[in-house]
Amino acid sequence: MTREIHFRDALREAMSDEMRRDERVFLIGEEVAEYDGAYKVSKGMLEEFGPRRIIDTPISETGFAGLGIGAAMMGLRPIVEFMSWSFSLVCADQILNNAPKMLYMSGGQFGCPIVFRGNDGAGGQLGSTHSWCVESLYANVPGMKIIIPSNPYDAKGLLTSAIQADDPVFCLESERMLSMAGDVPEESYTIPIGKAHIVRPGTDCTIVSFGRAVHFCMEAVETLAKEGIDCEVIDGRSIKPLDIDTIVASVRKTNRCVVVDQSWSFASVGSEVAAEVHRMCFDDLDNHVYRVHSDDVPAPYAWNLEQEMLPNAHKICQAVRGVTYTA
Amino acid sequence: MPIDITMPRLSDTMEQGTIIKWHVTEGQDVSAGDVLADVETDKATMEMQSFDDGRIASLSVAEGEPVDIGTVVAVLLEEDESDDAVADTPASQPPPVPPAETPTPPAVVEAPASGASSPRGSHLKATPVARRLAEEHGVDLQSLQGSGPGGRIVKRDVLAAVGAGQETRAAVPPSARGEVVDLARTDTPSLPATPVQAAPMTLTGDDRREPVSSMRQTIARRLVQSKQEIPHYQVSMAFAMDELSALRKQLNGDLADQDIKLSINDLLVRACALAMHQNPLMNASWDGDAIVYHERVHIGVAVALPEERGGGLVVPVIRDANFKSLRAISTETRALAEKARTRGLSVEEMEGATFTISNLGMFGVDNFTAIINPPNSAILAVGATLEKPVVRDGELAVGLEMNATLSNDHRVIDGATAARWLGTFRSLIEHPSSILV
Amino acid sequence: MTTTTMPKTDQVTTPSTAQTPLPDADTLRKWLRDMMLIREFEVRSMQAYQNKLAGGFLHVYNGQEAVAVGCIGALRPDDPVITAYRDHGHALARGMDPKVGMAELFGRIGGCAKGKGGSMHFFDAEHHMYGGHGIVGAQAPLGAGLAFATKYRDEVMGSSKNNHVTLCFMGDGAINQGAVHEAMNLAAVLSLPVIFIVENNFYAMGTAIDRSTAAAGHICDRAAGYEMESAVVDGMDVLEVYRGMKPLVDYCRETSKPVFVDMRCYRFKGHSMSDPRKYRTHDEEAKWELEDPIERLAAHLQGAGGVTAEDTKAMAKTVRQEIRAAVDWAKQSPEPPIEELYHDVYVDRWGPYTGTSVPSFMQRRSSDREQTNDA
Repeated sequence: MTREIHFRDALREAMSDEMRRDERVFLIGEEVAEYDGAYKVSKGMLEEFGPRRIIDTPISETGFAGLGIGAAMMGLRPIVEFMSWSFSLVCADQILNNAPKMLYMSGGQFGCPIVFRGNDGAGGQLGSTHSWCVESLYANVPGMKIIIPSNPYDAKGLLTSAIQADDPVFCLESERMLSMAGDVPEESYTIPIGKAHIVRPGTDCTIVSFGRAVHFCMEAVETLAKEGIDCEVIDGRSIKPLDIDTIVASVRKTNRCVVVDQSWSFASVGSEVAAEVHRMCFDDLDNHVYRVHSDDVPAPYAWNLEQEMLPNAHKICQAVRGVTYTA
Repeated sequence: MPIDITMPRLSDTMEQGTIIKWHVTEGQDVSAGDVLADVETDKATMEMQSFDDGRIASLSVAEGEPVDIGTVVAVLLEEDESDDAVADTPASQPPPVPPAETPTPPAVVEAPASGASSPRGSHLKATPVARRLAEEHGVDLQSLQGSGPGGRIVKRDVLAAVGAGQETRAAVPPSARGEVVDLARTDTPSLPATPVQAAPMTLTGDDRREPVSSMRQTIARRLVQSKQEIPHYQVSMAFAMDELSALRKQLNGDLADQDIKLSINDLLVRACALAMHQNPLMNASWDGDAIVYHERVHIGVAVALPEERGGGLVVPVIRDANFKSLRAISTETRALAEKARTRGLSVEEMEGATFTISNLGMFGVDNFTAIINPPNSAILAVGATLEKPVVRDGELAVGLEMNATLSNDHRVIDGATAARWLGTFRSLIEHPSSILV
Repeated sequence: MTTTTMPKTDQVTTPSTAQTPLPDADTLRKWLRDMMLIREFEVRSMQAYQNKLAGGFLHVYNGQEAVAVGCIGALRPDDPVITAYRDHGHALARGMDPKVGMAELFGRIGGCAKGKGGSMHFFDAEHHMYGGHGIVGAQAPLGAGLAFATKYRDEVMGSSKNNHVTLCFMGDGAINQGAVHEAMNLAAVLSLPVIFIVENNFYAMGTAIDRSTAAAGHICDRAAGYEMESAVVDGMDVLEVYRGMKPLVDYCRETSKPVFVDMRCYRFKGHSMSDPRKYRTHDEEAKWELEDPIERLAAHLQGAGGVTAEDTKAMAKTVRQEIRAAVDWAKQSPEPPIEELYHDVYVDRWGPYTGTSVPSFMQRRSSDREQTNDA
């Protein structure tokens, strides 16, 4: 039975379903319990599951992220909520050195089945330190998976897969999408991690994007369609592993590719996609891959400057016109 | 066993060490942990310690002399060992090296950038897909004016040269590329472009694939063309053959001494020729925006070739059949058929038919339809003459009957015209004396 | 116990002998043997390192053997233990086979982590040894997590009440790391059964504790800041270690509250193998070497009767043979096959590799369509 719910409700359903199904699963983080979640994602969960499974922490990311990893080493399945992925930087050692490498450096003896989740990307005038897009920074590290849902349906299915996964998974959500409504089945379901989704088929240009930026792409393709440019939009759904096969198959058809990645351009998810497309589609390309990123500056506060910095439909249209020689 | 004391690795980057000062002398007793010497490494001056208890048998490296890690610098005798033991042991052993049970993996070599196999003009700018399409369509990139930045030749430039309007349609999908190449490699006839392509055929081990003769190719091409271009329709009729058979029997009996043996088919050819003569609308051809009406009546007679000679079908032509006697038709048909089966017919002998008759009656075929032999507008498919229950004058009787089906080009021949022709034909067959005239 | 560089410090607070009875003689003999085994393992590790059989960094435990043996002696066999990179002693005291440890140092497939961890990452799931961790202080939150998990399993998952106690070791250099303080605060707030043991050997690498740490003589005051029970224990005497730790372990088990221990000890060797120890004097080292924990226990056992000097010598010889055998075994163990490089990155044996992540020798199997010139 499908009905329309918000993105945050979809996240909560995934967590609650898994907590009912598997008592090893617990939620820990700042304000997740008595406050009902800083962004109300965990609203009501304390009431259902009690304080032993919905655990408020001090503002102490290194402490509670590391605690979660230790618990995962012993076979529990923690969900660690970061109020914002921007705050995960203070515990980078725990989430990058310990979680993804534990299995390897213990020679397979101790795994780390843990989910870290929280808001990623610009929330809207939050300034330089609170507007991180961590995907490019973290995707460089082997041993973990990164999912980045773009809608409520994907949020529930991908997060459910993440909680069930035996490897550490980073789930990047967006504050700007939490109130987005969408059709979501009531029952539990999973969406495989590492499989991209073709949101819109097209013939002239492949647009690859992730998370919230997929919506900017859909806005752009409406404009472009009126100009006679028929774009195929791929929602990567996962950044790591990257479903390069789906992207390559599309580019071999369209001969052009634009990557829209909300993180900074240097050594980014976008540059990785571009490199792979250039490597695997070399003889199919009619132009080099165009990339749309956030500008290479700290996030500004002023509304107009922030809008100028972020990827948007206008920039995507410009890139598509460029790559198709119709500028 | 005497213990070799080797130059230790005292830092992670050290390759050589120099003993600055020996703290022990030969013959001295030492305990594990005692400092044997000060060693200068690349990083610092470090102490070299003994790992075992014993007596120094020899010092083999002088102070100030740099040596590699692993070089024996001293020999230690353990408890209860005499100096003689030293002589039994090679003074200097190579430093232990880790056993290498597993072979060294092959070095990882990145595949060279693609496209290196096809040399390119250094100054010609074209996108990779443009180069690929140009190669596939035989377009000379040098002849193109690129529309991309700096004159870069892009996909649309090549497609424009190929003449394809819809670039997305013209782009050969990757999955189809292989099939195109495969087709080019075979010796299959190049059939005229057809909008419908056969589904790819999968050959199994039991199948035998045999290239065909040029005649078979021609047959294939012409029949495909006929069936695809001509709006065929058929009309059939049953013919009472009692009288024709009787006439044939009588004539063959009469003419036996002249070496004449008429076939049913000879009689039918003659009847066809006369029917054409009487129905000139049938003796015509479609010519794009006009119909050509032929004055003369040339009847083609389909002749099957023996299978041991590759089979196939030829259509020798009896020219001006409406003016030829039965005897002439019979003689000529027989000669042409014989030549077709043995030496082959010339082009002239097969050209110019205005109507064709195909008879499978000798094989017992009751009824069939035939494909028009262009530029004819009709063909008659003749079945076997069989004994059948028939109604004659209101009574059931056993009679000889033949079915024949006329295929017509509807662009040229209307149904009523065809029906009229069949009526004439029946009249001639069922009252065969008229064909003698 | 002597220190020439220390400022005025807290006094050792080990409870009296009467309060904590010692284990039986066999257990004490085993402790002696365990400490000798650790010492011999470390000596041969250093030798192997100098002979280039072992690589990377090597941090040896000589001098601190009583800490690992005495602390773990106060535990139940299935209580979790986690420590930092100077981890050989803890792993061996926990029961790791020395040949498996030596093979790990040599980077061989027979190692505890298949040669993929190295000296700093001695893990042994069978013996509840949760590693050897390389980043100073980073294991402290993990230790809190292990304790959390044992408690969660007791309280939420309805298993029998195991009331495990987790030992989380660290060096004195770690106490200035934020991670340690966050872990201590969480352990106190969430009431976690974990004992943070600072192996206080007075040097963080080459920096003396009073040069790096405020109130260096009173690090237990930091525990007080979290309202956490704490103790100063003489780490050079395994009997004192046991007497100090046993009541703390019992307290932790009963109350599910964290404990902090300032375990005074001395690192006989340098920080790592390339440390010339110029930051301390030979006199200081010599004085501490008089406190050698192995000799102290041997003397105790001989004094208490039952163990002769010959017994001790025979025990040393047995241990030496065992470690020699371990070295030989490790030398014979093959290097890990190249495929092993790609295993254990993810639980899925070959990982979810795509694109350039695909191992080069697997590229042909991938759906990759690279145009190459090779035949």
